[in-house]
Amino acid sequence: MYQDNEDDCKFAACTYFAKNHPGEMCGSNGLPLTPSSITILGRAQRLLTIEHPNLCTYLDVIRGKHERIIVVAEVIGKSLKECTSKFSFQEIVNIAKQVAISMKFLHDQDITHRTLSDDNILIDNEGRVKLFNYGLYYMTDGGSEVSFPLGLPRYLSPETILSGGGPAADVWSYGIILLELSIGKLWNNLKPGPILRRILTLVHANNPAERIAREHDCFEQYKQVPENLRNIIEKCLKIYPSERATFSELVEDLTKIDSKELVEVKTPRGLMGCKLQYLYHLWQLAGGDIQAELKKNYLIKNSPPILSMPIAILLDGCTIGGKTGALFDRRLAKYSLDLLKSRLSHVPPQDFYPLMHERRKEYDAVALPKIIRERDTEYQFYRLLWFHRLLHGYPYTAPYIRAEAEIDIPPLVRGDVWAALLGVVGDIEDQYERIDKETPTPTDRQIDVDIPRCHQYCWLLCGSAGHRTLKRLLKAWLLTNPQYVYWQGLDSLTAPFLYLNFCNEARAFACLSAFVPKFLHKFFLKDNSAVIKEYLAKFWQMTAFHEPELATHLHEINFVPELFAIPWFLTMFSHVFPLHKIVHLWDALLVEGPALPLFMGVGILRQLRDTLLSSGFNECILLFSDLPEIDIGECVKESIEMCRSSPRSVSYRRFTNEAVVKDPMDIVEIPMEVLFTEISPRINLSDFFSLICQDKCCVIDIRSNLLYEKSCIDGSINVPYSGVHLGQHELRALGLHPQKVIQEAIKQKKMVVVASAEDETAQLFSDYLVKCCVPRVCILHGGISALLTHVPSLFTVPPKRNGHK
Amino acid sequence: MATNRSGAAQRPNGAPQTKVCQFKLVLLGESAVGKSSLVLRFVKGQFHEYQESTIGAAFLTQTVCLDDTTVKFEIWDTAGQERYHSLAPMYYRGAQAAIVVYDITNQDTFGRAKNWVKELQRQASPSIVIALAGNKSDLAAKRMVEFEEAQAYADENGLLFMETSAKTAMNVNDIFLAIANKLPKSEGGGSAGAGGARRLGDAEQARSSSCCK
Repeated sequence: MYQDNEDDCKFAACTYFAKNHPGEMCGSNGLPLTPSSITILGRAQRLLTIEHPNLCTYLDVIRGKHERIIVVAEVIGKSLKECTSKFSFQEIVNIAKQVAISMKFLHDQDITHRTLSDDNILIDNEGRVKLFNYGLYYMTDGGSEVSFPLGLPRYLSPETILSGGGPAADVWSYGIILLELSIGKLWNNLKPGPILRRILTLVHANNPAERIAREHDCFEQYKQVPENLRNIIEKCLKIYPSERATFSELVEDLTKIDSKELVEVKTPRGLMGCKLQYLYHLWQLAGGDIQAELKKNYLIKNSPPILSMPIAILLDGCTIGGKTGALFDRRLAKYSLDLLKSRLSHVPPQDFYPLMHERRKEYDAVALPKIIRERDTEYQFYRLLWFHRLLHGYPYTAPYIRAEAEIDIPPLVRGDVWAALLGVVGDIEDQYERIDKETPTPTDRQIDVDIPRCHQYCWLLCGSAGHRTLKRLLKAWLLTNPQYVYWQGLDSLTAPFLYLNFCNEARAFACLSAFVPKFLHKFFLKDNSAVIKEYLAKFWQMTAFHEPELATHLHEINFVPELFAIPWFLTMFSHVFPLHKIVHLWDALLVEGPALPLFMGVGILRQLRDTLLSSGFNECILLFSDLPEIDIGECVKESIEMCRSSPRSVSYRRFTNEAVVKDPMDIVEIPMEVLFTEISPRINLSDFFSLICQDKCCVIDIRSNLLYEKSCIDGSINVPYSGVHLGQHELRALGLHPQKVIQEAIKQKKMVVVASAEDETAQLFSDYLVKCCVPRVCILHGGISALLTHVPSLFTVPPKRNGHK
Repeated sequence: MATNRSGAAQRPNGAPQTKVCQFKLVLLGESAVGKSSLVLRFVKGQFHEYQESTIGAAFLTQTVCLDDTTVKFEIWDTAGQERYHSLAPMYYRGAQAAIVVYDITNQDTFGRAKNWVKELQRQASPSIVIALAGNKSDLAAKRMVEFEEAQAYADENGLLFMETSAKTAMNVNDIFLAIANKLPKSEGGGSAGAGGARRLGDAEQARSSSCCK
């Protein structure tokens, strides 16, 4: 779709097919070979991160049907090929300089271009030059993943034609392009075969540039080319690659000749001033469809399947006939941003520059589920601009980022936001660089067998690039955490970080390194039994706390979390859910902190509640072996609600990275053996105090009424333990008044705190309440006596009630 | 999740009354030898090339019909990594049958299988039926463990033995059937309804056992 107004086209797409593996070939490990398109996709990720003023930014690499690859990248102006008017020598030198600068940049990154030609050098009206699709050779692993030859014949260097050649071949192509710009198109109207033969005959020439000029009857014209430019061309067109100039030398030479500096293009204001990646993303949200446009322009042709069927298939899976390999399709489909522009036309100009300290914008969309918000063009536009602004100021903006992340995180910047939430700062590249990720260790075998099974439905993680990086990350983490060992599951835990930071290994590593101490402290110890047991016990207590009926049922059928929940918590659910769900789960996790996972576990149980309640042991365990679809949005919402409504001390664990509490008001720790026997959690004195102050709890004093009448917590009710029939699981049995008070407390979502003189009765009574399906039951840690010691002001003498003895 | 607990009683009148037996079976072996794949093939007839690793354990059931008996397997598929070893007793305790799996393309996994057999002979119920499965037989070209070697070892130790392939389904049903045939099907032994004693989720058991050590 060639637009009339070229300025409107910001990006373009081209497409080609990756090589097909013949038949159903398997690798040596019995697994199918990785499709070439996946390998290409993995390699191309690095290209997506390259930014340089003289390179068209890669925006996307898409894997289509039948091993099709679609490459989307920025475009400007038009290609040299399309420029009909001749350039002045001054202009040629300027173009040469810009191309040399970009080529030097690529070679410094160990990227060989190989396909440099007049149709992928773009130039705009101001004379800015950008290379387009310079990564074809790189992403196809030197052309080995595609069946077509790379590069146009007339730009190939002699050694490329003979045996391949390295980066110096780019210098030759560059030389030919300069020569063409100076004396006109070379080998016009010749077929590829004769062109290649001509190039090979140059091998005997002393000065290939002159020789070419003579062949084209342009020798006189060539002599008129300024000497300094001619020198440059001749330095490039040497037969031996080692004799050719390098691009750094060329840049130096050209800088001497051409002192003209390009005027820094002012970034336009408004929409067009936004990052190109954002524009592309928003354009897609607004309904932009890369594939549809390619089809419309016949770059994707659908031929009837019968035409692409092979004529014969041999026993080894090789095919004869059918679809024959095509050459690289050099056509582009250009895309206009009109769609996006009109979609956002009503946005006032000042909204493009949100101010940090202005009042947070209210969006209507916040009421919608996250998945829908993530597809809303306008909402994402505002969120992206805002986050872009905040991330720019990180680490100083960390609290703002946290506050915004609580609402939601735009998928496009999730990797950056997670790193900010985890407090990743400093020279992480350098730190990561220093870690030995290569030396073999005894753990390698286990890592090697686990990686090819880890989230392999994801195109990024299932390619060889993904496998290699995941292994390096795991090895680096193990080496820097000698206190820990590799537990299966660590691979799944690392995967989300790799997924979001595919081309930023160091940041993936830094995120993992920050995540583990925060959420999984001591989980990867060689002997982690105590840590896991405590975690599961707390999880079971939280289940009783928020889902008493379910907990009672599961207790009755002896269904314990050891049977199903170890992978949940050991991997923070990353072994349980696919990546697109994990990211939403972890978005919440990173904001809410280490207590949330316990409640997420309860949230999952809650969604399965009805099935679990009507199932026996076998059915329950089967349900977890093959977990049904869980609504993650709902699970996150409910777990946050549960987490925030639960006093902190209720979910206290000893094995965390937090400072040891010393204040008796804050202590809630009990011996592990006791923890395993208690169904309801304990609440510490300070949490209890604040609940009382806010009138958010119902206190049940289970001492004898003699003690109660002497002194009791103000507002508490007395249910003497000795009078309770533990066998009867009905609140009615407690008497009319206590029943009414407890039912009222349940209605008002108050905590039900059991206060006693001794632990044992408190425990038994709280179990009883749970069995009566009373939610939010907890035990006052230290009982009445501790409270009396530390907060005597809460006590009073109850008024004598009529009818009481 | 139709249960066969009362399967016999529910049969239409006139149909031959069959006995329903329920057995607990556990799969053990080094990681990535194909334990989960064997179970998946047996229970669902599926094969996933990229079967995820098992953490902790997974539970599945499958019923097979013999001549006069219906056998319901309660299958515990365990984690293979050595570190999860301490969880294993929780699963093989009270099991009537075990399949110890190794990978025929990897000698080390065979060594590990032998250790599992030893441990079962020492720790598990004395009447446990143990089968040895040499999995990945579709990769015979890369074989590192000879059939004869494994067969001799199995004979010595009184194990059922087959080479299997979860990928091609070779011998997968057969090995489970062979186990079903070998299990005693007396009413007292593995009949339906008496599940409690063999149930793994016994709270006391699980809590007192050292998990994840």
